[in-house]
Amino acid sequence: MQPLHSPIPRLRSGGGRISLTSYGTSAVFSELASTYPLKVLSPRIVARGLAVVYLLTYGGGLVGGDQIELSVKADSKTVLVLLSQGSTKVFKIRPGRRLASPGVSRHSLTPPTSIISPLVTYPATRQNMTFTIAAEGALFLLPDPVTCFRSASYNQSQTFYLSKSASLVVLDWLTSGRMSMGEEWAFSRYYSANEVWVEGKRIAKDIMLLDDQQPDPIAKILSRTLADRLAPYSCYAMVMLFGPLVQSTIQDIAAQFDQIAIFKTKRPAEMVWSLSPMTSESGAIVRVAGKETESVRTWLGQALLGLQETVGIDVYRKAFP
Amino acid sequence: MDDDDETYILLLLSDSNLPTGSFVASSGLESYIKHGFMTSPTSTIVTFLQDSLGAYARSALPFVTDAHHVVERLRTREKDGGIETGDMRECQDKALEDLAALDDLYDTMTLNHVARRASKSQGVALLTLYSKGFSRPSSSSVISGAEGCDQNRCMSDLLEKFKLMARKEDTQAHLPICWGVLTAALGLALERSQYLHLFLHARSLLSASVRLNDMGPYSAQQLLMHVVRPLVASQLARCKDLRTGLLEDSEVDFDEKILGPANTWPLGEILAARHDLQHSRIFNS
Repeated sequence: MQPLHSPIPRLRSGGGRISLTSYGTSAVFSELASTYPLKVLSPRIVARGLAVVYLLTYGGGLVGGDQIELSVKADSKTVLVLLSQGSTKVFKIRPGRRLASPGVSRHSLTPPTSIISPLVTYPATRQNMTFTIAAEGALFLLPDPVTCFRSASYNQSQTFYLSKSASLVVLDWLTSGRMSMGEEWAFSRYYSANEVWVEGKRIAKDIMLLDDQQPDPIAKILSRTLADRLAPYSCYAMVMLFGPLVQSTIQDIAAQFDQIAIFKTKRPAEMVWSLSPMTSESGAIVRVAGKETESVRTWLGQALLGLQETVGIDVYRKAFP
Repeated sequence: MDDDDETYILLLLSDSNLPTGSFVASSGLESYIKHGFMTSPTSTIVTFLQDSLGAYARSALPFVTDAHHVVERLRTREKDGGIETGDMRECQDKALEDLAALDDLYDTMTLNHVARRASKSQGVALLTLYSKGFSRPSSSSVISGAEGCDQNRCMSDLLEKFKLMARKEDTQAHLPICWGVLTAALGLALERSQYLHLFLHARSLLSASVRLNDMGPYSAQQLLMHVVRPLVASQLARCKDLRTGLLEDSEVDFDEKILGPANTWPLGEILAARHDLQHSRIFNS
């Protein structure tokens, strides 16, 4: 016979598990666990079948070598909202070493000189997340943008497994860097993959890779930097929408999109966005680029306002203050 | 296939009159200019060429490569007589299955509906081109000898079936997949196929800019002569070894993050997806 409490598999450093179960009319966490440097917190929400979790990292950021592995499950008829608190900062190395980092000797508080030498390639930061959403369940992943600092290397993979009548909203966005420090698109690599499977069939796979292509000796033409390619915008956002709970939101955005008529302009607008339906009828992709992060946030808050019906005004304001 | 044969195929495929539907596609250039990204005509076109070619190479070339591999493998096995007649069908079915899987992955990764539409129509046009334009004339009096006829039959059979799958909407027939299939069926080596595909992308952008009246035909020719070549060569060097990771012959420890297809130009993606919103336009994409 199985022991009554089967031992929960140990989480390795940076690991996390969230499991939301419906219990009568309410949603309860059957699991909510994480290990350093990841931290998951759930504020008390008074709403039926709804739960909010903040995904946090100590110090508000990630450093080279950090590996986050998170698995999330939302049971049928539950609504899980995942948020962050402030943008996720990705450093090349941590300013001031992290004492509890695995492999760091507690005796050497100052990093060996080789770590700060610019010739060394730093280990990349990785974040892998898997989400499973049962029938009539919903996951709204609405974090703040990622900000990669100079020379940072960031890799994020998010995979979503949905049942047929599940709903999904994924917001994935980034800013050009620490603009106050004069950093604009100065990181070395940003890789973000979002893959959506519905009932065992892949319906969308978005892979965004931003890196400076190494100047090539063959090309005699001045190569284009990342900043050249993305100018004049400094914030890029992608939203995936899928499922019954977001149909009216998609329709609202589509109506707005169809009303746009583009006449030739002399210079690029402050903000530009697009909407594409997915091949699978009940999904859509929105992309936004803006010169200011805040204007992109305001636009997103307006465009996704329909989600308020599901999550309520208080929770919605946590995502879009 | 000897070098002369290959050169002749290259000449045929690089013909700008080839009915491939590329003359109605601007790959986002028309929308880019409309949105105010034009500073001076020549530098704007070169800039767009660099960004668009870089993005296209990174997202599409892995699919050209893998589709070419699938068909090339079948073709060589058939040529070497390594397949029993009974197994032939099985090998062909496996090839079609692989191609459909590649096509499906490209479809789910091309999340911009305008690009998806253009890619499908150009892919289907390539399949039609093969069956109508590259098959042997039926009147046997025109050509003598039956050399290479069997091999031809095996390939045209494969393409015919793939075309039928596209018609029944069992597969999408996206451009990079169909290009890999077509060139491998004609016996063009992989690297030449990749090179030509990128070259044609660049050339069709230049013809689009001529049609848009942003550049004269001589300037376009000048860019083709002096600018496009190093650009194509450097993108080819960067992307020729990329794969999709779908086929069994990929390395065991295939790292998708390093070697897989990706979208590298989100700005181009947004502008291209806004194509249909232009008050007036002359292209379909």
